[in-house]
Amino acid sequence: MNFDFDDDQQLLRESVRRFLDERYPLSVTREALEADVVLDRELWRRGAELGWTAMLIPEQHEGGSITSQPLVDLVVLAEELGRTLNPGPLVSTNVVADAIARFGLDEQRSTWLPRIARGEVIATWSLSAEGTPDLEAPGVDAVVSEGGVTLNGTARYVHEAVGAELVLATVRLDGKAACVLVPLPHDGVRVRRHTGLDLTRRFGEITFTGATVPADSVLGGAEVLERAISVATVIKSAEATGAAEILFERTVDYLRDRVQFGRTIGSYQAIKHRLADLLIEVEAMRTATYYAALAVDEGFEDAAEAVATAGSYVPEAFAHLTGESLQLHGGIGFTWEHDVHLFVRRSKSDEPLFGEPSWHRENLFEMLDAATLGESA
Amino acid sequence: MDITTSEVPPQYDEFRKSLQAFIGAHCPPLEWKARTGIRVPEEEHDVALLRQWARAIHDAGYVFDRFADTPGDPYEQRVLEEELGATGIPYVVGNALVAGAIKMFGTPEQRSAHIGPMSRGEQIWTQLFSEPNAGSDLASLQTKGRLDGDEYIINGQKVWSTWAQWADHGYLLARTEPSPGPGGITALILDMKSPGIEIRPLREMTGTTDFNEVFFDDVRVPVANVIGAPGEGWKVASASLATERGGVGRNLSWETVVRLADLARTTSRRGTSLGDDGSVRQQIAAFAARSRIQDHLGKRVETRAENQAVTAWDAPLMKIWFSELNLEMLEYGLDLQGPRSIVAEGDEAAYDDGFLQDAFLYARAWTIAGGSNEVMRNLISERGLGLPREPRGDA
Ligand SMILES: Cc1cc2nc3c(=O)[nH]c(=O)nc-3n(C[C@H](O)[C@H](O)[C@H](O)COP(=O)(O)OP(=O)(O)OC[C@H]3O[C@@H](n4cnc5c(N)ncnc54)[C@H](O)[C@@H]3O)c2cc1C
Repeated sequence: MNFDFDDDQQLLRESVRRFLDERYPLSVTREALEADVVLDRELWRRGAELGWTAMLIPEQHEGGSITSQPLVDLVVLAEELGRTLNPGPLVSTNVVADAIARFGLDEQRSTWLPRIARGEVIATWSLSAEGTPDLEAPGVDAVVSEGGVTLNGTARYVHEAVGAELVLATVRLDGKAACVLVPLPHDGVRVRRHTGLDLTRRFGEITFTGATVPADSVLGGAEVLERAISVATVIKSAEATGAAEILFERTVDYLRDRVQFGRTIGSYQAIKHRLADLLIEVEAMRTATYYAALAVDEGFEDAAEAVATAGSYVPEAFAHLTGESLQLHGGIGFTWEHDVHLFVRRSKSDEPLFGEPSWHRENLFEMLDAATLGESA
Repeated sequence: MDITTSEVPPQYDEFRKSLQAFIGAHCPPLEWKARTGIRVPEEEHDVALLRQWARAIHDAGYVFDRFADTPGDPYEQRVLEEELGATGIPYVVGNALVAGAIKMFGTPEQRSAHIGPMSRGEQIWTQLFSEPNAGSDLASLQTKGRLDGDEYIINGQKVWSTWAQWADHGYLLARTEPSPGPGGITALILDMKSPGIEIRPLREMTGTTDFNEVFFDDVRVPVANVIGAPGEGWKVASASLATERGGVGRNLSWETVVRLADLARTTSRRGTSLGDDGSVRQQIAAFAARSRIQDHLGKRVETRAENQAVTAWDAPLMKIWFSELNLEMLEYGLDLQGPRSIVAEGDEAAYDDGFLQDAFLYARAWTIAGGSNEVMRNLISERGLGLPREPRGDA
């Protein structure tokens, strides 16, 4: 039994943490957001050199994972980026890299993957106009046309849509889900930046009006989408776990120091018990995330269930933890200067993306229902 | 990362088959109703059957690690736990916590006098720790042992002693040394047939009787029955209690998830099955996620144990996670039944013969027994996070 990272992954963690501490800490992101820049492309490129976008890309295309469990490797990275509330589209870019690597043609692989691995191309991923993965929602419709495939409609809440060079658009084609690669900028594609709740990230809306791409830009259907959601859920959960972990540490430190009524507030039992609950929550977030990564990497029978478990539990726990942390900071926690609101914003903004918790729970119930019918205890 | 527990290899099929045949031939038909939790038989007749069952298991050559000097074949242990566990009939009679204490701290004489007989069902044990005025604050216990020659003379009272009504021996904590607090406590092996012991069964909120009050009036215990050394009782007890907390309730919660799914499917409101009700599906799935996370947490804790990296929060965390999930699920199990939830075991209208009603009541045991969840939260925040300890009062 080793439900923990191995030595190479620990080394990866150390090197990424060092880089982030020195070059891309939260304070840098903070300055950038005040200047309305958000993502520093040069730093993203440097991060790519450390493997941020490489884990799901084969070696022949300049990628490569640390171990034979690339998603577990990515968990290490995502936790570290999460700790600094890094603005980069770690989820989207890796989802698209993975989709091209698995489902793309040779030409698409050699065109895009090395540039994604080098951090030159930012790839993003769009769902419906409601930001949900369900086909019933209004979104982007595709039809087979003379020039290939033509897209019409809007996708919203797309991470880094404004800066991206490539989007994997989820569309409806012949009444079914399809995933289509569209280089950006592109004729018939307009991008509008959202004003966001999460100040450390940029989201955008992509409107397709008769945008036509070659027919082979369609990577596939439901299988591509399903895999993308698994990958996204793991990375999103790991970013949340890293962010929760650092905020929890900072909160405990604050409560150890702050004195009221002649004693540190961390000595009050009402506070101690809430911190015990938060510790449990962080542990649970970790284990749900690690298990999902492992289950998807290893193709465990319960991989889909593990994704639904992490996808439903982790974002809500994260949001609960950030709210508690704010409360325990008192008035200072309500200020613009203090970082805690950035975590609150991140957690609530992340929560509904790439499949809301309730969507994952419905999936989980369906699996439970199918598996336990007639198997009464 | 590697969490694969390897499949039991095919060469153990033979072992499993003969074990199944053995179970088929010997597993006792108890009058005692199967209920959730750690429950104690109500009839002497069932106790005798359980003793015979333990004896039969032993005589057939099956040995559990907890009673063995050296661990047995791990696959055989797994098959044993799986097959015997599936019967729902306890295969260890009484509270076997003391086995760990005797193995870790006992003399060779104590080992041979007790470990073997426990494994044969000849000795039923009870844990005599808690007192009316020493529960969470166990170190303040007041039961006294006064040295008289080569015997201690015990006076005092214990409470919540599970299995004491049927026990042959007690794992007793008493104050024998002058120092107050933990340093004065000694762990002793008590013969429950000794003169001066009075046992009064207590009835729990479930209506059944698992635990008892135990009174000592000049009860004589040989000095040779000390486990470890005089004054070491706190160390001995802590070591054995840690194993109990770690082991509480694993896997039990998934069974309840399955029961809830069943209940939802077979219950309707306004003409619609609750299995098709969005809010019910959401709630049961949320429980399912937490139950799965319980397994994952267990694997993390196991990993740390194997790497000698146990943290102060491992055992408390598992206990809180399971017991609170369990309680919430069972409350919900009654909610889902609506008005039907008011009928219990024995009423023909009851759902599943009132299993959930009894389990709902019993869920209250898990959040208290083995160290209350509040005390667990103190442990996490004080020993785990290093926050200041609660001040001791002098009341
Ligand atoms: C089903 C069951 C079986 C049991 N079996 C056994 C057995 O076989 N042998 C045995 O020795 N004991 C047994 N016990 C006893 C069990 O260990 C105690 O009940 C438990 O440790 C709590 O002690 P108490 O009952 O005295 O409650 P108290 O200590 O009086 O606690 C009452 C309340 O106060 C809270 N509290 C106490 N101290 C603090 C604090 N410092 N901070 C915050 N809150 C606090 C508690 O959490 C609880 O909510 C059993 C109990 C149960 C319920």
